[in-house]
Amino acid sequence: MRKILIVLALALLAGAALAQQTDIRVIAFAQGFAWPDLFGSTGTEKTERLLAFEEQENINVTIEWGDETAVRQKVLTDLISGAGRYDVILLGSDGAVQTYGYSGFLEPLDGYLATGDLDQYITLSDLYPQFLTANTVDGNLYGLSYYSFGPGIIYRTDLFDRYGIEVPTTTDELSTALEQLKTGFEADGITDIYPLTMRGAPGEEPSLDLTGFVYAYAGYPAWFEGGVTTPEEIRSTRAKPIFTGDFRAGFESFVNLSREYGPPGIATHTWVDMMNLYSQGRAAVLLPSAINGYAAITSTENELVRDNSAFAPIVTGPSGKPIQSFWTFSLGVPASSKNKAEAVKVLALLTGNRSMQAFADQTQWPSVTIPSVMHSETLVNRWGSDEIDLNEAAIQASDPYYFPYIPELAEFMDKIGTAASKAITSGDVDSALNELQVWALERMTTAGYYR
Amino acid sequence: MAYHPSKRHPIRRLARFPIGFLLPAVLVLAAIVLFPTLYLLWLSVRHWIVFQPQQYFTGLGNFIALFRSSAFWESLRVTGSYLLLTSLLSFAFGLGLAISLSKAIFARGVVRALIILPLLVPPVVAGFAWKFLLNREIGLVGGYLFPALGITVSLLAHPTLALVSIVIADIWSKTSFMFLILLAALQSIPVELYEAARIDGAGARQEFLYITLPLLVPAIIIGLIFRAIDAINTFDLIFVMTQGGPGTATQTLSIFGWKTAFTYFDLGRGAAIAVVMMVLAVITTLFLTKRLQR
Repeated sequence: MRKILIVLALALLAGAALAQQTDIRVIAFAQGFAWPDLFGSTGTEKTERLLAFEEQENINVTIEWGDETAVRQKVLTDLISGAGRYDVILLGSDGAVQTYGYSGFLEPLDGYLATGDLDQYITLSDLYPQFLTANTVDGNLYGLSYYSFGPGIIYRTDLFDRYGIEVPTTTDELSTALEQLKTGFEADGITDIYPLTMRGAPGEEPSLDLTGFVYAYAGYPAWFEGGVTTPEEIRSTRAKPIFTGDFRAGFESFVNLSREYGPPGIATHTWVDMMNLYSQGRAAVLLPSAINGYAAITSTENELVRDNSAFAPIVTGPSGKPIQSFWTFSLGVPASSKNKAEAVKVLALLTGNRSMQAFADQTQWPSVTIPSVMHSETLVNRWGSDEIDLNEAAIQASDPYYFPYIPELAEFMDKIGTAASKAITSGDVDSALNELQVWALERMTTAGYYR
Repeated sequence: MAYHPSKRHPIRRLARFPIGFLLPAVLVLAAIVLFPTLYLLWLSVRHWIVFQPQQYFTGLGNFIALFRSSAFWESLRVTGSYLLLTSLLSFAFGLGLAISLSKAIFARGVVRALIILPLLVPPVVAGFAWKFLLNREIGLVGGYLFPALGITVSLLAHPTLALVSIVIADIWSKTSFMFLILLAALQSIPVELYEAARIDGAGARQEFLYITLPLLVPAIIIGLIFRAIDAINTFDLIFVMTQGGPGTATQTLSIFGWKTAFTYFDLGRGAAIAVVMMVLAVITTLFLTKRLQR
């Protein structure tokens, strides 16, 4: 009887201790390879590191995983309903951080991080500044990045050697190299390898890459007159969309390269398809989102791909500026969270040095946000210091504002990507861009930018 | 012996007021059907864009904006094509299969089970399977079989053939539903009618035209109503296979509505698209029901 009473008392004490913990719920995708140091390789465990954090901070962390699309919908629903179910949410720097940041749905992080209380988990000065800039909207930092990437070329050295092709450094040289590959494949009767793999599916996906082409050709983010990138600038200068103007050259180049040198189904390809094709040895060049190439190289069972792949800096356009492809897997704290201070602590834990190192150790991708992790033994041993330096240089040369930071960004990204998919299929760049121009002008007018 | 409750029994008293019996079901229905529908209607007349602080009543503003948008008309056209093709073709195949398998043939039970099998496969899984089969680069059909036959085009990246591909996947997935309904109806037709017709000298064609088809009409209409509603609402299969692409070649109203609400953050206009889909489903159902009543 006494034993039972003791057990009951202990259970009550444990329950009381748990009850005092603050519950923080995180929602994200990439189950399994994100945060293996916290949630294990299945994403369903609590590692000793996480348990220690929970005990130290008196926080109970729960993570909800899902497919990216489903996660985004849940986040949106939670934010607009103000339910406050989630305390740390997936954002991403290609629309969500801008839309939610401008709308006041997110908690600015600057104040929490300035106190120095979170230095044991994250120090902003340790990060590549580009990843902070990418998550700063209207002067406020709204998101911290987990794995993230800059542009580059992943290519097959054996195929380049076979046809005597030099690694391109400009868009013109890139076209020449791809043409040489195409001619070489035709001469050798190779029909199952494509010179190039990129993504051209309808929706926001290709926009991340193709607007990088626009930037390299125009020399600035050529969406609005004068290259303005913020709502205030657009309003004050009454800058109109220029999708049939300076935007055209980069868009056309992306479409033409896809049509001429890409696989037949490229107009529906997402990052998964481009990665798979390269991984299977069915493509000679993957660009500009090099992360998908690294994912292919580290997961392939094709020895030719594994042993004969290399990274090269992305080519520059006629303007002298490099093609962009820059994205951050960022997370933020909703303004509706009831436990913001604790949520920021969890956010710091998720995006800090140790988490980033664990990601690098697990994936071996040089797609990290912190220089010390980029130059860590794991990545240097795997890729060599030269390649690591090139990856770092690609991040440092990135301009996160290669597209405008406006609340309507997600809608524009979707329309631009869909226009590209349409143009790749039809070959009619003019009509795709005319349609885009008409839509964009109407959209910005109804949004009140030109009053 | 039958149970006859006394006049004072609560059941007898309730029977005089049918609303007493209906009320629980009506309340449950109101909660799970009526409220969301009314909320959707309310949302469709509101200006509600997530990143704009002002929400206000806009009357028919969302609908007017929709009707002025070329993307809406294009989506409506794609939805109409998809609705017609999938409904009619699954009906034609379903009817053919039902007639063939209503006769005594070898291994009829096994063949029937095989035909019903696709109905058990979730549309998302069916979509992935067809996407991989038809993929031009690695697909068994699109990447190897078709090229061997001289067909080198990428089906899913072609503006017309992408829709055809989705229709094929839909028919594979849903024909068994039409088959089941028509088979059940066929088996309920009395054999005496056929025997009498044969005595009167009717051939197989006349039996089909004057006995089978007229008696199948109610089942056909019911089957078509279900298929039409399903086709108007289909999202998963298309999203998985093409995401509405290439470009907007397979963007139906359901994909357009989803994008408008969840990618463009325009909840009012997204709701308006849902209302248009609802009206479209009601009109189609009414049209088919009228045929049933004739």
